[in-house]
Amino acid sequence: MATEVTVKIAGEAGQGIQTIGTLLANVCHNAGLFVFSVNDFESRIRGGYSFNILRISEDPLIAPSGKPDILVAIDEKSADRDMDTHADGGIVLLNTKEQKDLPDHVHAVSFDELASSAGGRIASNTVAAGMLLSILGSGFDRLEKELTDQFSRKGEKVLDLNKKAAFAGFEKGEAVPFSEKLKFESSGNGNVLMSGAYAAALGALASNCRVFSFYPMSPATGIMASAAEFTGRLPIVVEQAEDELAAVNMAIGSSFAGVRSLTSTSGGGFSLMTEGLGLAAMTETPLVIINGQRPGPATGLPTRTAQADLLFTITASQDEFPRFVLAPGTVLETFSAVKKAFHLSDKYQVPAIVLLDQFLCDSVMTEKGTLEMDSRGDEKNLECRDSKPGKEQSGETGQPYLRYRFSENGISDRRIPGTSKALVRSTANEHDQEGNITEDAEIRTKMVDKRHSKIEYMKEEMDPPSIFSKESAVLLAGWGSSRGSIMESCLTLRSLGYDVGWLIFHDIWPLDWDQVSEVVTDRKLILVEQNRTCQLGRLIRQQTGIAFSDSVRKYDGRPLYPDFITENVKKMMEQ
Amino acid sequence: MVSTEDFDNDVENKWCPGCGNFPILDAMKESFSELDLPPEKLFLVSGIGQAGKTPNFLNCNMCHTLHGRALCVATGAKIANRNLNIVVNSGDGDCYGEGGNHFMAAIRRNIDLTLLVHNNQVYGLTKGQASPTSTLGMKTKMQRQGTFSVPFNPLAVAMVSGAGFVARGFAGDKEQLAGLIRRAMQYRGFAMIDILQPCVSFNTVNTMKWYKDRAAPVEETDHDESDLKRALDLVLQDPEETISTGLLYENKSSSPGDFHRRLDVLTEESLLDQSIDMQTLQSLLP
Ligand SMILES: Cc1ncc(C[n+]2csc(CCOP(=O)(O)OP(=O)(O)O)c2C)c(N)n1
Ligand code: SF4
Ligand SMILES: [Mg+2]
Repeated sequence: MATEVTVKIAGEAGQGIQTIGTLLANVCHNAGLFVFSVNDFESRIRGGYSFNILRISEDPLIAPSGKPDILVAIDEKSADRDMDTHADGGIVLLNTKEQKDLPDHVHAVSFDELASSAGGRIASNTVAAGMLLSILGSGFDRLEKELTDQFSRKGEKVLDLNKKAAFAGFEKGEAVPFSEKLKFESSGNGNVLMSGAYAAALGALASNCRVFSFYPMSPATGIMASAAEFTGRLPIVVEQAEDELAAVNMAIGSSFAGVRSLTSTSGGGFSLMTEGLGLAAMTETPLVIINGQRPGPATGLPTRTAQADLLFTITASQDEFPRFVLAPGTVLETFSAVKKAFHLSDKYQVPAIVLLDQFLCDSVMTEKGTLEMDSRGDEKNLECRDSKPGKEQSGETGQPYLRYRFSENGISDRRIPGTSKALVRSTANEHDQEGNITEDAEIRTKMVDKRHSKIEYMKEEMDPPSIFSKESAVLLAGWGSSRGSIMESCLTLRSLGYDVGWLIFHDIWPLDWDQVSEVVTDRKLILVEQNRTCQLGRLIRQQTGIAFSDSVRKYDGRPLYPDFITENVKKMMEQ
Repeated sequence: MVSTEDFDNDVENKWCPGCGNFPILDAMKESFSELDLPPEKLFLVSGIGQAGKTPNFLNCNMCHTLHGRALCVATGAKIANRNLNIVVNSGDGDCYGEGGNHFMAAIRRNIDLTLLVHNNQVYGLTKGQASPTSTLGMKTKMQRQGTFSVPFNPLAVAMVSGAGFVARGFAGDKEQLAGLIRRAMQYRGFAMIDILQPCVSFNTVNTMKWYKDRAAPVEETDHDESDLKRALDLVLQDPEETISTGLLYENKSSSPGDFHRRLDVLTEESLLDQSIDMQTLQSLLP
């Protein structure tokens, strides 16, 4: 059995909880271990109650764990709150000076004091990280290397302080008994460690996206912050727009003018962008939007997670028009989904929306695989202006260039204004093939049909849902970031003797629903979703006529852990 | 040489006969041909309204966008391709009402665009409701007791917000207007012209005669357009008495806020002509 340990670091916002988590995650990752780190925080800058929960394993991980073996309580309030919730045999590290009557598994240690003696209280997080790593079985050199990577930029003094602080913590940790020791290898395993937000930004950059327009809104801000790290080093512009209306319309403007662009937001901002979505659809301008979902309605729970914008995203519009909706479930899937969104949006000249959520944006995970960066020149990275149209449409051979020329698959030759003699004419009003306003009933009907005729071709680009143990009587069905927890729960249930499989959607719209029908016919479907009304279940019913029989739903804004699914499904199956 | 006819097209014009938009259209063609800009080098972006329809009646690249959002689309396009000559046609409702936030942001961003606001002090396309610039007390079918809100003063707002090129045109003075559009397009930075535009169908207060009686071209005075304080005085005049037209303010100190010069990636070359090198990207990863 591979060893795995879950560490929970809890305290107030502003106490550097994430700093400890990040240090730990990096050291473990670089030692060939797998991590899954979830940040749970309030919408405030200081105070309150936040935590980072880090699952570390010698084997690949697909889901977070909600049961800590080690609890680090940065303040006593967190200790009171969490003392009972950790697993049997676990330990608690309590950041306190006082040696009260504590149970055996609770170890009082003042990170602040140790840091002060090392030269500065500011390094108390590093003390905690040092202590944790020695408890987990790491050598000190690994932490030292990580600190050098992180702090050498900040100067000798800062680095020195952190090394001393780390060592003080490390020594303290040696005295704490803890049986589960992890195997730290001498080097990493070449896997990817990053957050969904970072992966999304990289996906855009790898697609040659050069304009990023946004208005800040959690949890999507991290995507733009990640892209912004590359300004000055890559030919990109990251522009904070005056609002989401501007953000989406700027993205459309850039795309219209021939440069791939990205905008990202959450539900409230996406609502504002709906108008622009229609403009992209009507003018057939490629547009990629990332909607990082959070609980609503209205402001909802700004820093928490939800999967409740599915049906809205599929239908958000004036009138109706085709679009792609992709819902990746892991960081590597996010990277590829964003690349796919750019490719498909260009190819079909329709909007593409990538649905993420706070859990996926903010969680940091090790994933097996690599980022496929070098896609220049290949079809997937096709840029509109590289697709030279046939001569007959160039306007130079006598035949006029028609931006909206009718075609069998609904796709017309898209040109970039100012790059040839052809005039590019577009309007948000209904228009004729030339792009001029028309109210002609016949042309209107033909134009609607033109736009919609793309759907049959678009479907063929979609990956069907992933299915495991298709012959099982019961299938756990879900989408997006719930993926890992559903899978892990499914495997646990099977090991307990329950006959269950899974059905997980990542490409959601448009789909060949006949294929889905075939799979779900005569199966009992249990929907696992982070919304109140089972939006995927409703969609499946709408598209296939097949109803789901039960559901595990969670809409408290907190992450979905495998145990929660397992417990609920067990109850359902025992009835 | 580019001529005004190069911009003619055979799209049916949908404005009312006698509409103040016709001379604006003519003035645009005139300035484009004077600047020797061929249709393919020109990109017109517009919002929704009678003003927004303008690009449809011109032979050139165009994107007729959404109500209020023309400046956003134009900004995105200019970021993508700094070599495009972009002119935005917008209405008073479109630009100062629905798109008010974008108007403010465009001034601050100071990106190199030319904004033409066809200001007829009314919502034309939706049949005569009051607009942000309607005269206080103007009665319409919707505002039965007259408007209650004080009219928005776009030029004063633009000046105090730091706009570098602020002009007022008048549909009744085509020659002046054509000259203003030309200069606005030559200006490196955000340039705006608010154009007095009679609406013969819905504005019975601010008619061609009403404007003619008040329009006072600054060229005929000793106005110094580099003097911001004097320019402000002119736009704070009571419009019932005098409305100064012409180039009111120009910051000649080489448009200090030029967006493209602030962003080094845009100084040399258009983003359109640049690409992300995947090896460089790879090398930058942590
Ligand atoms: C989002 C949205 N709201 C409202 C409208 C309806 N609408 C179209 S044009 C217009 C007002 C136009 O007034 P103005 O901008 O002054 O242009 P004008 O017609 O006077 O030139 C309105 C309210 C719309 N098209 N879109
Ligand atoms: S309604 Fe007014 S602005 Fe519109 S076309 Fe007629 S005259 Fe011109
Ligand atoms: Mg108007």
